[in-house]
Amino acid sequence: MIRSLFILLFASTVVASAAYATGDCYSCHGRKGMPGYIDRNAFQGSVHGSIDCTKCHIAISSYPHGKAGKVNCGICHFLGRDGAPSAQAQEYKLSVHNRIVPVGQNAVPVCQTCHGSHYIYPSTDRRSETRRQNIPVLCSKCHPREFKEYGKSIHGIEALERNNAMAPTCFDCHQEHLIPPAGDAQWMLSLVRQCGNCHAEQIKTYRKTYHGKVTQLGYATMAKCSDCHGSHSIARVTDKASLLSEQNILATCRKCHPKATIGFTRFYAHAEETNRAKYPVMFYTFLFMTVLLIGTFTFFFVHTFLWAYRSLKERMNKKGGE
Amino acid sequence: MAQVKRFNAYHRVLHVAMAVSFIGLVASGMPIKYAQAPWAAWLTKLLGGYEGAALVHRICAVITFGYFAAHIAYVVYDVAVVRKFKFNPIGPESMVPWIKDAEDIYHNFKWFFGMGPRPLFDRWAYWEKFDYWAVFWGVGMIGVSGLFLWFPEFFGQFLPGWTFNVATVIHSDEALLAAGFIFTIHYFNTHLRPEKFPMDPVIFTGTLTLHELQHERPLEYQRLVEEKTLDQAMVEPQKNWITDLGILFGFAVVLIGFLLLLLIVLGQFIY
Repeated sequence: MIRSLFILLFASTVVASAAYATGDCYSCHGRKGMPGYIDRNAFQGSVHGSIDCTKCHIAISSYPHGKAGKVNCGICHFLGRDGAPSAQAQEYKLSVHNRIVPVGQNAVPVCQTCHGSHYIYPSTDRRSETRRQNIPVLCSKCHPREFKEYGKSIHGIEALERNNAMAPTCFDCHQEHLIPPAGDAQWMLSLVRQCGNCHAEQIKTYRKTYHGKVTQLGYATMAKCSDCHGSHSIARVTDKASLLSEQNILATCRKCHPKATIGFTRFYAHAEETNRAKYPVMFYTFLFMTVLLIGTFTFFFVHTFLWAYRSLKERMNKKGGE
Repeated sequence: MAQVKRFNAYHRVLHVAMAVSFIGLVASGMPIKYAQAPWAAWLTKLLGGYEGAALVHRICAVITFGYFAAHIAYVVYDVAVVRKFKFNPIGPESMVPWIKDAEDIYHNFKWFFGMGPRPLFDRWAYWEKFDYWAVFWGVGMIGVSGLFLWFPEFFGQFLPGWTFNVATVIHSDEALLAAGFIFTIHYFNTHLRPEKFPMDPVIFTGTLTLHELQHERPLEYQRLVEEKTLDQAMVEPQKNWITDLGILFGFAVVLIGFLLLLLIVLGQFIY
């Protein structure tokens, strides 16, 4: 109480008119220990460093001022005002993070939850909360269980422990601002393509199976990468923890094929019929079928063309003779 | 004017069942084979999604097994009961390929090159025998591999799972062979060749004119005359509405076949 009185007194002595500049704000908020203290240098180095305080704190127009209220980033970013990038805010509007608001949960993540308030830097900046290396930790604030699973996964170990920049973090699958709800069919289908961006050989062979063809046609009910390999806790197939390890594969297949047997699990979900060393029976079957097709078609196409030619010629000769 | 009977009602009904189920199988199967082609998702949607396509495929598969079994039963009945085993398996009434067929192929190629007269055919020309046995081969290969893929959990009890990979290769490639063959070579050999263009309705009407028999199957004609059985083979021409319906059906199937062929070509070579 005493402190706010002090602020009030101080503010009234400094300010003469309602029109004031950003610099004026620092005369209070630039002081360490003040409520709403702003590190001037750090702020000015941020992406919003050149913007007036009141552009975001729209409720404030004069000294002394009351409660600043929550800043709505959308006033610039949703509409793209003054060149503010708008795609992210528009994607956020569609995201599950935004959609849980009507459900009435109070811990709704808003822009500031991830980006912070004043000290926002480009995600390439080391100081940024949203830099790539920090994403899993950032998300873990609300999603600790997923973070724990991810941390033990092959992707998590590569990203967090080995600093492998190629390893996927939360955003690579959950799409930054867009964050579709888990179970969204279009999103799950896009994840298959996303996995394929790095695992090119695997998606190529997956697309040769019924699983891969049906998902390619746009139906998400068929087995996708994560249905067999797992998602946050994904492990190498050679790892005991993998859903496809000897201990787990039967249970994994049985999710969709309840009567599956061990024999059934010997299906190659990523077979390549041109690989003789690894899939000899498939290779020779494919070779036989290819020879059969080419042989049959060649013989009969030649037969048909010659027949058509001779028949037409004879008919023309007949007509000519008449 | 009286005509010569070539196919009975049983033959004709089975051929219609075969044509309808074959079109259904190709239309519902090729979108899976060529899932990467833009037309595939569209055709799947038309068939009621992938579940709808799978249902159509399986209904048509059951029809296929049905006509196949019905034909085997017919052959057994015909040979055992009607002919009382007085049937020469290498004679002119038989579908079994024999020496004359090899000779006919040779002479037909000579005729193609203008190096000799056209060989004289009996009841079944060699390309007709090929079509006939191709169905046995095709239904066998596609049917068995298809059953594997339809009931993997059942077959997985006593066969390793990679059998399904092999079955997929066979099912897919054999389907391409069957569809590619029927929609080009069978269509040409029976309907589109200059002598018959645009359609030979015999499989729908069951009857040939005497002129057609004399010119296209001279050995059969000669045989019927010598055996004095030509009169028995002569029947009244088919009712008009059956002929019209048959031709209409035939054109529809040929047209749909060509459309499917176009999609297959796009899927195989373009996308």
